[in-house]
Amino acid sequence: MNRELIKNFILFYCIRGPFLHDLLYTIIIWTGIAVFLMATGLRRAHIGTVIVCLSIGLCLFITRRTFFRLFKPRRILSLVAAIVTSIFLGVCLGYLMGGIIFRLLFSAVLKPNLPHVFVFFLVYVSAVTTIFYLKYQLGLSREATEQERIERLSVEKEALESKLRLLQAQIEPHFLFNTLSNTISLIDTDPAKSKSMLGDLVCYLRTSLSRTLPAATTLGQEIDIIKAYLNIQKIRMSERLSFSIDIPYALSNHPLPPMLIQPLVENAVKHGLEPNIDGGKITIKALAAEGLVRIEVTDTGNGFSPCHETGVGIGNVMERIRLLYGEKGRLILEENRPKGVKAVIEIPNDL
Amino acid sequence: MTYKAIIADDEKELRTYLKSMLVEVWPDLVICGEAKNGKETLAMIESKQPQIVFLDIKMPGLSGMEVARKVTGHCRIVFVTAFDQYAVEAFEREAVDYLLKPVLKDRLLQTVQRLKNILESPAESTRSYSEIVEQVLSRLAGTKHTGFLHWIKVHERDSIRLVSVNEVYYFKAEDKYTILFTRESESLIKKSIKELALELDPCQFWQIHRGTIVNVSRIDRISRSFTGRGIVKLKDRQELLNVSRNYLHLFKQM
Repeated sequence: MNRELIKNFILFYCIRGPFLHDLLYTIIIWTGIAVFLMATGLRRAHIGTVIVCLSIGLCLFITRRTFFRLFKPRRILSLVAAIVTSIFLGVCLGYLMGGIIFRLLFSAVLKPNLPHVFVFFLVYVSAVTTIFYLKYQLGLSREATEQERIERLSVEKEALESKLRLLQAQIEPHFLFNTLSNTISLIDTDPAKSKSMLGDLVCYLRTSLSRTLPAATTLGQEIDIIKAYLNIQKIRMSERLSFSIDIPYALSNHPLPPMLIQPLVENAVKHGLEPNIDGGKITIKALAAEGLVRIEVTDTGNGFSPCHETGVGIGNVMERIRLLYGEKGRLILEENRPKGVKAVIEIPNDL
Repeated sequence: MTYKAIIADDEKELRTYLKSMLVEVWPDLVICGEAKNGKETLAMIESKQPQIVFLDIKMPGLSGMEVARKVTGHCRIVFVTAFDQYAVEAFEREAVDYLLKPVLKDRLLQTVQRLKNILESPAESTRSYSEIVEQVLSRLAGTKHTGFLHWIKVHERDSIRLVSVNEVYYFKAEDKYTILFTRESESLIKKSIKELALELDPCQFWQIHRGTIVNVSRIDRISRSFTGRGIVKLKDRQELLNVSRNYLHLFKQM
């Protein structure tokens, strides 16, 4: 039991904590030792005693890490060596410093005086108590806010996940029925086209209907879904829709949560190109720049009308980016020149 | 008697398909034209004078509903839609002809039969669609265009950024212009706070001061200062906003 305690103390003392923490403990412990020595009469009640003790403590504070590293596996040996060295160094340093400072400042030596020691002791005890009390309170409140934050985040995350699931289920019925109409129409006239359209639909539905989204997907996989979606829309809108996708090969393996870019493409088609008689072009580009990956979805469609309601899709993408990447990721919507919308997603480059 | 019809749909395959189905179930019908957007449809109705129009609701330019509003007199409309709940409800209620995509043969046969009956009885040959169109459009308007501002254009160096109003925390008047605050950014918009106040949805944005409009969903809490003024604390933002006496009533009974 006792051995265990000593061992723990040594461990605690040897293992590196935060710098200021350690310094604070060193000062508290060694002032305590000085007060103890003075109170028991082993040393004179003299500021010099405190200074000597403190310098031993500070020497130990500095040397123990070096010694610990020196005698790495043998902690007790390293501690003993550190203490011996520190006492020697500390006493020399303490007397030297104490001597110089007190000759200079007070030009007199304080007489041994019991009330002095007592007052000093009281001040010491109350200071230490205050420090520990404050630390305890601070820790408590920090813990509470941390707890609150975690709770809030988990609630938010849950809400978002359920919202996401809902969104997944809400696959645009218009799109589905129109696609099916097209495949039926094409069965007789162009069976091959009809087949490939059904294939694309399957690929698209596979992801958008799955209740549990795979956690780790890549940019390449997301682009596959987008291609499937755009191929379908291409058959529907024929010459009114053109698109180009330019993803550097190196980026296609970049991790990316699923259905993060797809809503932007869907938005571009639905609000940008479909209502426009002449349709337009969608350009999807990705590039790596300064520690981040930039993915741009540009359309040359109708652009945003100021009164058109913010789609759930866009809001959802923004929220997901904020939750997944915090300050490091963002979605920017810009007006495209001469017309249309440019949506830019920026996420940290993890490759 | 032979009748003339036109097919209006922006998707080529679907026009072709409907045409082939019609040839099959109503060989006597003459398909005299195909239109791929609203304007073309109107022009074609004008020039070809068909008795029947198969009209897709969702078309670029003028939508099918807007075309129908302009159609008068002796032209019967068969609305075609993939999925429009409101429209279909209204069509059912008003006994208007409609088809759902993908168009199925049995359903088309029913519609054709109905059309034949109506066209052959001279008493029932005219019908105005404006009423039902207004109904459907107003229902659709309720869900899509509320008339309030949803996007705000922010000039940023050489580009124009679009900020959704949902992202906005609050607006603050700055001389003739307004500063818009989001979670981590602030930008100047060239509009006075007075103009903004008129354009924003009053359920989502409250004016709490002559120079401040706040997004209600971003308010964390409101407290009273010693002098009785209201002070609004926002979520995720540090600053406090003053509520002037004239607007304090907004927070009463909460």
